[in-house]
Amino acid sequence: MVDRFADVLDEVQVAFMLGPVSVSVAGRDAANVPTLSRTVGCRVSADHRRVTVFVSASRSASLLDDLRSNGAVAAVFSRPSTHETIQLKGEDARVEPLAQGDTALLAAAVDVFAQELVSIGFPEHYARAVHGGALEDYVAVSFTPAAAFVQTPGPAAGQRIDARS
Amino acid sequence: MKVALDAIRNCFEGAIPSVIATCAADGTPNAAYLSQVHFVDNEHVALTFQFFNTTRANVLANPRAAVQVIDPNSAAHYRLDLEYLRTENDGPLFEHMKARLAGIASHTGMSKVFRLQGADVYRVIEVEALPGQVLPCPAPRRSVLAALRACSQSLAACTDLSGLLDTALACLAAEFDIAHAMVLMSSERGDRLYTVASRGYAESGIGSEIALGEGVIGVAARERTPIRIGYMAREYLYSRAVRESISAGQADRDLETEIPLPGLRESHSQLAVPIHLGERLLGVLYVESPQDMRFTYEDEDALVALAGQLAATMALLEPGDELGDTEAVMRTSGGALSGNAVTVRHYAANDSVFIGDDYLIKGVAGAIFRALLRDYVDHRRTEFTNRELRLHPDIRLPELSENLEARLILLQRRLAERCDYLRIEKTGRGRLRLCVDRPVTLVEVPADVR
Repeated sequence: MVDRFADVLDEVQVAFMLGPVSVSVAGRDAANVPTLSRTVGCRVSADHRRVTVFVSASRSASLLDDLRSNGAVAAVFSRPSTHETIQLKGEDARVEPLAQGDTALLAAAVDVFAQELVSIGFPEHYARAVHGGALEDYVAVSFTPAAAFVQTPGPAAGQRIDARS
Repeated sequence: MKVALDAIRNCFEGAIPSVIATCAADGTPNAAYLSQVHFVDNEHVALTFQFFNTTRANVLANPRAAVQVIDPNSAAHYRLDLEYLRTENDGPLFEHMKARLAGIASHTGMSKVFRLQGADVYRVIEVEALPGQVLPCPAPRRSVLAALRACSQSLAACTDLSGLLDTALACLAAEFDIAHAMVLMSSERGDRLYTVASRGYAESGIGSEIALGEGVIGVAARERTPIRIGYMAREYLYSRAVRESISAGQADRDLETEIPLPGLRESHSQLAVPIHLGERLLGVLYVESPQDMRFTYEDEDALVALAGQLAATMALLEPGDELGDTEAVMRTSGGALSGNAVTVRHYAANDSVFIGDDYLIKGVAGAIFRALLRDYVDHRRTEFTNRELRLHPDIRLPELSENLEARLILLQRRLAERCDYLRIEKTGRGRLRLCVDRPVTLVEVPADVR
């Protein structure tokens, strides 16, 4: 069990998560076999207590099964140009249809992430293809972050964000 | 859709970092980025262990993991279900991953952060191609197998070591468009490698040496494993910086007798493939490029196959050089000498040879040259056999005979580069001629004097 997250996400963290980041979502089944899906885009509730990420249903069948059955989730947000990375963990993940406006958020996230890849030297057609595809295939996964960790490579990697002084 | 692991090796080239999911014993999932997924064989991959992090703690407690990779050309996604088996802290796999990591670290500005502690070996339970849009892939530059076949046919036609080495490098240029390449042979004691053939460098570097374990070439040789890196790794560069930093005014003997290794100053892609028969190291085939990610897994496959043929052919050429040399060859020189007399000095301490003031060669090749020249000066003898050199008490050649041929090639090529009045010509299998066009004085300096 993860400890309760004493803090809520601050403005800087939320801005980072809404920026040009890739998102990787992990779950696990009843036998603790992990499942994984890579995507882009998220939305954060006004009080910063609920995070919603978007995953392709066809690419994430096992992950969605696991999230529905036990709710245990980890989501990593990482910016390619800086390697800046944070990970959130939750225990109450819910799989939902996209809400109104999510498709536009998702399309914008695909765009800014592609621009990020272009800025570090990837060809544009490739950058767009990495997380492109049929947006109607996506579903929402929302959860309450119970813990947050810095995962930018280096000595501070793995440090709990609420442990900072 | 199920996929063979070797069909998606390109995804492991590090263009888009891979992500791993693991799960703690208490059921908390974890996701993290990976610096490197390394293809071991069709059932195994190895991941870098750099920090003792949550991923590490998780797989030690619960060995299952999932990794998602993205193809660098088609953008197709694949998911690998894995099971952690063991960690290797030394040996070929570890050294290959360490060298690759150094390249990746330097490319991503992480040189101070990334340090390989171990190669974590995982069994691949399943590879799944994920649905989604993929880009059409351009046709390959050319068929690597067809290129390999053409090289292989050319090598099969070679009948001596010198031709074999030059053909190999010419084939790499013609069939693989690899412009910068060299072959180094293992020294008699097996602790050093010396360059016998090179192509694509301003200075040939013939005769230059490196120690076993030094740089990509030395590590590939020591571990008997190919090493391929796609980004410039400063700690693996064969920089001349050390040489250049030493004051030119200090006539240090070691420096004086050092031939710089050829090599690109800014080598971004490097591939070193050991030439070996089982555990017996014959040499290393090395190629490099100023481009990032120039060499693929398939290039590595092809060069490993070529190195295998080189090794087998070298071994096959070995015994033949003794044929037909039983008759005494005592023909003397009839050639006319002209021009200024030249003084050749031989230093017994390290068998180094200087023509005038110019360093020529040292070690076994130096001892061979001294022996040839001694016989020439004393008896005007010019025709020699490999066999007598092999048995010569002053040359101190160990039993493995491909070294003699390689040392002769080294000597022949160094002479050709350094002067035009002293030459060695092959006159047949196991026979050679010393050609002298100017009067020569041989000065022998004993070991304790200089």
